[in-house]
Amino acid sequence: MVKARFESLPVIALLAAIGLFLCSLANALSRATLAPTPLIYWVGLLVIALPIFFRLSSTKPGYRERLVLVLLLGLALYGVKIVHDSIFFTFSDEFVHAFNAENIDKYHHLYHFNPAIPTTPYYPGLEGATSALMMLTGMSSFGAGIFVVGAARLTFMAALFFLFARLSGSARGAGLGVAIYTGTSNFLFWGAQFSYESLSLPLLVVVLMCFVEREDAPPTSRSAWAVPIVLGILAIAITHHLTSYALAVIFVALAILYRVMKVERPNPWPFALLSVGVALGWLLIAARSTTGYLFPVLEEAIKAIVKTASGESAPRTLFHQASTTTETVATTPLAARAVALLAVAVLAAIVFLGLKALWRRDERREPLVILFGLGALAFFAALTLRFAPAAWETGNRAGGYFFLGLAFIGIYGAAEFLRRGTNLLRRRVALAGALGVVLVGGAISGWPWDIQLARPLQATAKGKEIDSESLALARWASERLDGSRFAAPEADARVLLNPGGQVAYGGQGPDIEDIVGSEGLESWQLPLLEQHNLPYVVGDRRLNSEDTLRGFYFDVKGQYGGKLREQGVVHKFARIPAGRVWQGNHIVLFNLKDRP
Amino acid sequence: MRGHRDLKLACVGAVLCALVAALVPFELVRLVAALPLVLFLPGYAIIALAFGSRELALPKRIVLSVATSLMALVLGTFVLNIFPFGLRTASWAVLLPLVVIAACRGAALRRDPADRRPRRRMTLPRPAPASLALGAVAVLIAAAALVLAQKPLPAKDAVGFTALWMLPTDAREDAVAVGVISNEQHPASYRLEVSLGKSQSKTYRVDLDPGEERVYEVEVAPRASGRTHVVSTLYRKGRPGHVYRRVTSWLPRQMTFP
Repeated sequence: MVKARFESLPVIALLAAIGLFLCSLANALSRATLAPTPLIYWVGLLVIALPIFFRLSSTKPGYRERLVLVLLLGLALYGVKIVHDSIFFTFSDEFVHAFNAENIDKYHHLYHFNPAIPTTPYYPGLEGATSALMMLTGMSSFGAGIFVVGAARLTFMAALFFLFARLSGSARGAGLGVAIYTGTSNFLFWGAQFSYESLSLPLLVVVLMCFVEREDAPPTSRSAWAVPIVLGILAIAITHHLTSYALAVIFVALAILYRVMKVERPNPWPFALLSVGVALGWLLIAARSTTGYLFPVLEEAIKAIVKTASGESAPRTLFHQASTTTETVATTPLAARAVALLAVAVLAAIVFLGLKALWRRDERREPLVILFGLGALAFFAALTLRFAPAAWETGNRAGGYFFLGLAFIGIYGAAEFLRRGTNLLRRRVALAGALGVVLVGGAISGWPWDIQLARPLQATAKGKEIDSESLALARWASERLDGSRFAAPEADARVLLNPGGQVAYGGQGPDIEDIVGSEGLESWQLPLLEQHNLPYVVGDRRLNSEDTLRGFYFDVKGQYGGKLREQGVVHKFARIPAGRVWQGNHIVLFNLKDRP
Repeated sequence: MRGHRDLKLACVGAVLCALVAALVPFELVRLVAALPLVLFLPGYAIIALAFGSRELALPKRIVLSVATSLMALVLGTFVLNIFPFGLRTASWAVLLPLVVIAACRGAALRRDPADRRPRRRMTLPRPAPASLALGAVAVLIAAAALVLAQKPLPAKDAVGFTALWMLPTDAREDAVAVGVISNEQHPASYRLEVSLGKSQSKTYRVDLDPGEERVYEVEVAPRASGRTHVVSTLYRKGRPGHVYRRVTSWLPRQMTFP
């Protein structure tokens, strides 16, 4: 009786809420610079997930209860991201997309230039959807974005559950498959941020789910299922480049497999044709800059793989949290590394068992199941990219898609594990524990260790709000300079984009990074600033001001943000001479058009 | 749409939600109205149109409604952008109910006449009082987690700072606004000197609490030729001879690159 009550839905929901509160508390203590033990956070995460994993492994819950459990899991883990930074967006891509959403709200049309990632305005799906909620409610992009990504997140969890349930024929397996998916390194933070993939990946899963339902539906119902498939293909094409290409590849592969395997159901070539057509069409008509954005990254990744494989360059050190500046950031502790590696070992074991079990079953003749099997293997191949310095990010991003296959194969591995031996309760406990390791391991390998907990961006002193230096400059610019053009170290530039609302260039295209990072004023620098019409230049002595994950928080005594560049990075603009508009502790804003 | 209660409700709901979201000035009320309009009703209507009388289990219908609403929003963005008026509160408040009404009308036509008979009322599970109480406590704790996350907290080891800024007050550039913003952990006192060329200067005593800002307007007398070099300098009370912050400008500004 007690055991049954412990496993009841209200108790599990209560535990999820307590877990979320623990995560929020750990973040709050970290924002208060009290350096809490990260254990509070990790325990919170496990308090959310373990009871749900345990209940999902039971034979007792019905279909709807399992659906509610996976939705609760998705909602609570999304909550973990929300409580990480719930005052402003703080992930590097979020500033970029929030800037686009605010531009749509401001100018009432799409495709306004974005200096940080010029490709993003040409994939306006997320920002367009968010702008609808912004305009109809008066909310900022931050508030509206949380609702839109939250809706996409819940849709993702439910659609993945339906997809796995239909393909595997087991609601219990489907619940466990979704639980396994939460262990992908991109799930907890990356996939929950306000960025285009956070909408497009859920839509991709919805399209696959509708495709599988359509396959199982009577012929008279197939046209009905085609409606969300077609709408989904179109929506994905204008939301995110990589997802639209992934969807096209999946449908083309399915069309080929249907033909080769002589599947009796209708060949999905029309969907393949549509997905290839709209992805290519959008690329050629609207988003030509995508090639210049994506291909160099892929080219660098391939070069890095070749160089690392041939021994020409040293392999990347795993868990090395490289900052884009030379300020050393905290390394991942040994115990955390062990958990992350153990998670990979658990996944390998689950996939091994799953593939072995699947080989004996009829489902192996399903084209989509074959693709999922290949995806599971490709995930481990993609893991090796983490050893190549310029390819790890490509491997990490691709892993999120391959993990769909891994999670599906994992269903059979988990089922096989639960079948072995006599004591089901013990095996359920072991499986829930293993899934907990996978979740925590994925979170560790998916986000830098030193920023798993929030840092202070805004604080209170004597009961009043005070801002970090980057945020103070951005908010001042938002109030006093309407849409001016800035050159700034990249972290400052991101905050100037949003919430600052300014056109702020940073990074290397054009080479602002060297202009604001070098001590001397070289002959090419002023002409470049003039060429791009960037009168406002931010001189920032903080070494981490180029770091788009860490560079905009308060400096904290004895912890981070204390290392400085030479004074020349600021003084060189004063020597031009040029007007000094704003000065804080380490940041000086110059106006090059203000001079004697 | 006679006899199709769900479709009629969807249409009336969409129009009402659009009106409230577009016209009511309170953000929370607008949010409550906008959420179903944006994230549920368009998808519900489109799925109703697609499936007609065919069976679709309630959980799938709900999930597909949200997913298809997201797709409709994405595609609606693209459609509204084509028109000169573009994406505005009014255009969304018209487009979304139009999509709902058109799709519901189509769905009503596609449904079998037999479907018009009154449907059985959906039975919702009735949780035990203890379950309800646990659920309510869970909601409260989750809400507390979100509130805690939104609250800026004292951060005693965060390094505070004071910023000094200066900008012309308007396009005529015959006055400057000089501001001092405190993001310090403690109250602080300063002396602000604003010099206008070589002969004129003004001095202010500035006492600031954390989070406080003071702005001073200083007139810049027009010169017959050349520019006035305006320099604002901030000194800390404890170190009166040491320049703490300095901002400068040459008025009227050239507005050309060096």
